[in-house]
Amino acid sequence: MNRLELRGIVKSFGGVRALKGVDAVIAAGRTLVLLGENGAGKSTLIKTLTGAVRPDEGEILIDGTPVVLRDPMHARALGITAVYQEPMIFPHLSVLENIFAGCEITDRFGRVQTEAMLRAVRPWLSSLDLAESLLHRPMADLGLGHQQLVLIAQALVQGARVIVFDEPTAILSRAETDRLVGIIHRLRDDGRAIVYITHRLEEVPRLGDHVTVLTDGRVTGDYAASEVTEDLLLRLMMGKRHDAGPEREAIRPSAAAGASSAPPVLSIRGLSHSRHFHDVDWDASGGRITGIYGLVGAGRSEVAMTVFGALRAASGRILLDGREIMPRSPAEAMALGIGYLPEDRKKQGIFAPMGLESNLTCTGLSRLSHGGWLLNFPAMLTETQAIMRRFAIKADTPGTAIGTLSGGNQQKGLFARWAGQTLRVLILDEPTRGIDLATKAEIHGFIRQLAQAGTAIVVITSDLAELMAVSQDVIVMRQGRVVDRFRGTAVTAERVLASAIGAATSSQEHAA
Amino acid sequence: MSGFRSGRILILGVFALLVLGGFAVGNPTILSADNVSSMAVFAVELGIIAFGQGLVIEGGDGAIDLSVGAISGLAQILTALFITHGLPWPVGIGIGILSGAAMGGCNAAAIARFRIPPIIATLGTMFAFTGLALIASEGNTIDLTAAPARFLAAGQGSVLGVPFQILCVYLPLLGVLVLVQHRSRFGRALYLAGTNATAAWLAGIHVKRLRAATYVLSGALSGLAGVIAAARLGTATPDGVPEANLISIAIVVLGGASIFGGDGSPVGTAIATIAIAVVNYGLNYNDFNPTLQAGMMGLILVLVVLVENLVRGHLPRLIAAARNRRKMA
Amino acid sequence: MKSSALNLGPAAPALHGPRRVPVAWRALLARRETALLGVIVLVVTAVSLGAHGGFWTRVNLDGLMVTCAITAVPAAGMTLVILTGGIDASIGSMLGLVSAIGGLLFVAGWPVAAVVPVFLLAGAALGWINGLIILCGRVPPIVCTLGTLSIFRMGVFLMMGSEWITALPPGLTRFFVADHLGPLPGAAVIALVIMAALAAFLRVHRTGRRLFAIGNNEEAARLVGIPVRRLRWMTYTILGACVGLGALMRLGQSPIVQTTTGSGFELGVIAAVVLGGTELSGGRGGMFGTFLGTLVVGLVGDAIVLMHIQPFWSGVVLGSIILASVGLNEGRRARQVVS
Repeated sequence: MNRLELRGIVKSFGGVRALKGVDAVIAAGRTLVLLGENGAGKSTLIKTLTGAVRPDEGEILIDGTPVVLRDPMHARALGITAVYQEPMIFPHLSVLENIFAGCEITDRFGRVQTEAMLRAVRPWLSSLDLAESLLHRPMADLGLGHQQLVLIAQALVQGARVIVFDEPTAILSRAETDRLVGIIHRLRDDGRAIVYITHRLEEVPRLGDHVTVLTDGRVTGDYAASEVTEDLLLRLMMGKRHDAGPEREAIRPSAAAGASSAPPVLSIRGLSHSRHFHDVDWDASGGRITGIYGLVGAGRSEVAMTVFGALRAASGRILLDGREIMPRSPAEAMALGIGYLPEDRKKQGIFAPMGLESNLTCTGLSRLSHGGWLLNFPAMLTETQAIMRRFAIKADTPGTAIGTLSGGNQQKGLFARWAGQTLRVLILDEPTRGIDLATKAEIHGFIRQLAQAGTAIVVITSDLAELMAVSQDVIVMRQGRVVDRFRGTAVTAERVLASAIGAATSSQEHAA
Repeated sequence: MSGFRSGRILILGVFALLVLGGFAVGNPTILSADNVSSMAVFAVELGIIAFGQGLVIEGGDGAIDLSVGAISGLAQILTALFITHGLPWPVGIGIGILSGAAMGGCNAAAIARFRIPPIIATLGTMFAFTGLALIASEGNTIDLTAAPARFLAAGQGSVLGVPFQILCVYLPLLGVLVLVQHRSRFGRALYLAGTNATAAWLAGIHVKRLRAATYVLSGALSGLAGVIAAARLGTATPDGVPEANLISIAIVVLGGASIFGGDGSPVGTAIATIAIAVVNYGLNYNDFNPTLQAGMMGLILVLVVLVENLVRGHLPRLIAAARNRRKMA
Repeated sequence: MKSSALNLGPAAPALHGPRRVPVAWRALLARRETALLGVIVLVVTAVSLGAHGGFWTRVNLDGLMVTCAITAVPAAGMTLVILTGGIDASIGSMLGLVSAIGGLLFVAGWPVAAVVPVFLLAGAALGWINGLIILCGRVPPIVCTLGTLSIFRMGVFLMMGSEWITALPPGLTRFFVADHLGPLPGAAVIALVIMAALAAFLRVHRTGRRLFAIGNNEEAARLVGIPVRRLRWMTYTILGACVGLGALMRLGQSPIVQTTTGSGFELGVIAAVVLGGTELSGGRGGMFGTFLGTLVVGLVGDAIVLMHIQPFWSGVVLGSIILASVGLNEGRRARQVVS
């Protein structure tokens, strides 16, 4: 029986169509894997399923009956719950209270009945591998993996019949992932319908009974999990714009040759942070693009932020052109010739209500002012217009608020902030996340140009296709450590992916 | 957006004229040169404090300075004590401004270094500065009528027929602040930090230092306002400029700044100061009790933010919802 | 995650200290309550030695307890407000306005039994208005309540002019101050009962736990279906009712209503709550801390009177205590973020 069915779901945000007619069927006692790249519309689809977003067109059926999900509460009342990647928690409340937040068991005076809540949750504890002693600890004491389990427990005690997992393993260790997979199988065998959203191919055969591929807001494939091969899925995920070819090939030899003997511009030696990364070594050479691959939470951004002076390392050395540096703020790092394009465009990047001019010139204010303090408006305007032309940023005027532009144009603007500076090192953290493929290719072109001009470029990415497309050297990180590195031609997508998810055990240097 | 909104300024101007007109119908003498001039000098002190408050609020993340009134009081008392003890008047004025800056520095340290939420930090220093002013003055006002005439001229003199503090303090200050906020790197950085502190920090802007600087500036400006008020009235009181917290925040919000930071302009603040001063003076002139005047200020503050939120937030959403509903039907 | 590790300035070292091993005594020392008890012992010792026996007299202790009670009841309500991330700076004028309304009704000859509920209802209504502006009008709490601080005061003036009301029923004084239950005057008993009730409410009642949840993570609270707006609104209303009761008790202590009644009252109450360790950002704190904070505020005022220190020092001392205690706490928490 079909527990949940989506028919022709369409959703647009401000003229951009995120979902262009999605159909999906989720049966009780089955796991549906929804596979898609970043920006394929997965997150919009989850929000639709959980009532956080209302579709413009199409219908949702539960047990064959059409329903309109008013809000997440309503969806939950109908038995649909989502477990998000980064759990929404109440850090200072106990685990038990987190499980029962919003649906506490009380007596008729409203007094919270701890014993009754313990009784209600106890049957689920063993199937979730949760110790009962954890229940009285503050939620903040738990690691992310356990916090996710707590949220699953929350879904179970509320009688969830459809559980949506949103890329749950991205931030988990290997052991935690294995445990989670086991739990998901148990939940499925228990008769619940599972929707598992991921962009990781290798999870499909482990988890799915069925796989639906989402590309650019459309379903491009729908198969039983046993029928598919990774090649097929990759092709479907890429859509028709790419063929699968470049992903599997080695890096262009022309780019890889020669320069590898030059001393690195940026060297990191034994860099450790109390929480985020341990004993990390990176090298980035001038004129080359070094790709840093790893899953979310591997500590890549944190290392970059340390180099950029936004985090402080506990130990280790950072060398720029052989000289030891330890910037204490981004301003200091910039003065040394280091640039960093942050990962989260909205939170860390743009000044949404302010004009393009303010956004594009914010890293060069000292250069663009008289005597270092009085802004030189004509120069700022000229520079803004030059940048807009050079990077083909589509906006009416230099004064147009950047928040009103498309994600791709915003991202080009953020990239352009650094392109005008004279830099020794530029670290780009997910430079093309959530933008369309044409702009992606454009930005990749700009990155190569910058590298040819001699800057050492570091590209941090979770997008394997991007890694393979731009990088000449590759460093793979997992759980705060460097697990593999490749120089020149020897890099293959399988190898990188295997290292990143911990399938390969070796950690040797692969030289050209 | 950075900069001021011309629409807001127009509305404020019309509002001020209407209020003034209303008072003038009831009591035409309010428009006499003397009265207009005393309205203006009254506005100067609040206007100067509002400039400082505006800088603080533009810094973003709920920054606010509740100690401006207390700072003006303590600065006033210190200046008066130094002058009555025979120090030259320029030193006295310098003491007033510098002590204000130092008190602002205390706020800055508490907020930037010790991470105390701005509301609590400035509430604490407000207690402390008011207490110190009362201690220093032993709870009394200090008579300054015997102070050097040149000192008193700072609040009572006139140049070319215009009150001294308007021509020689307020207008130059306005000019400098317009330059600083709209033309200088500091002003641009402050807008950026107020709009998105994380992005500003990652673009190489020292957000904490900037915010700390706004508190120091706010303190110095409050000190200056206190000194001018003392010179104008010929006495220094430990209370300083009355209702300075409420009115300065009201002026800043009325002038078009967002209470959440990253927005606002000294020009808007100046025009809002005129509007508030007209209301306040008109009430004063018609013998309204100070309590009533303050009440009206409170009413204006709440109503302005309320209406602004409704217009910016609720109404567009309601309209959009209505449009959607029509489309669906 | 990442954004919380990111900090905005050169004060970064505090964030990156080594992981601390929790040691039992250190944890105990680090607790706000321990520090407050220390301050209380210190002040009591100083005042016992310095006030020539003036502290341990019946009259002084009674006066101190009633004063503390008058702060404690509104502070209990304020704890709920601050726990959910709000603040109310208007309660001084609210106390004045409630006193004026009640006082005028007394003068008009209403019986005490009829006026007492009016105090509570009028307070609740004023708190409800604050909640309306803050939660429906989306006005930041500090801006709204600074405004209503002067608006309520204007209300007092409009009702009272520059008159005084002294014709208040003597029963109030008898009940709140003169009558004792054991060693405790009536006001103190009532304050203890209310604090205990609200403490229990916060600890075991569903709604109380939900207030903590809102303060912890408002967005998540909304997602799990907690009626955030209604509950936050409720806290302002409860605070209003508490202020109404505080006004009534204050009339027992000093039976007079004038235009300035209650001005500055909000500062002592906010100080007590913040001293007690309830965090302005919400989600952590509680009633026991507020109780101790109230004692500290009351003791400091009493000590200053008894030791013949200029009363102006009370502001300086209180301000410094607030800055020191919150500053130390924030610094400690910043280090904990790492581990």
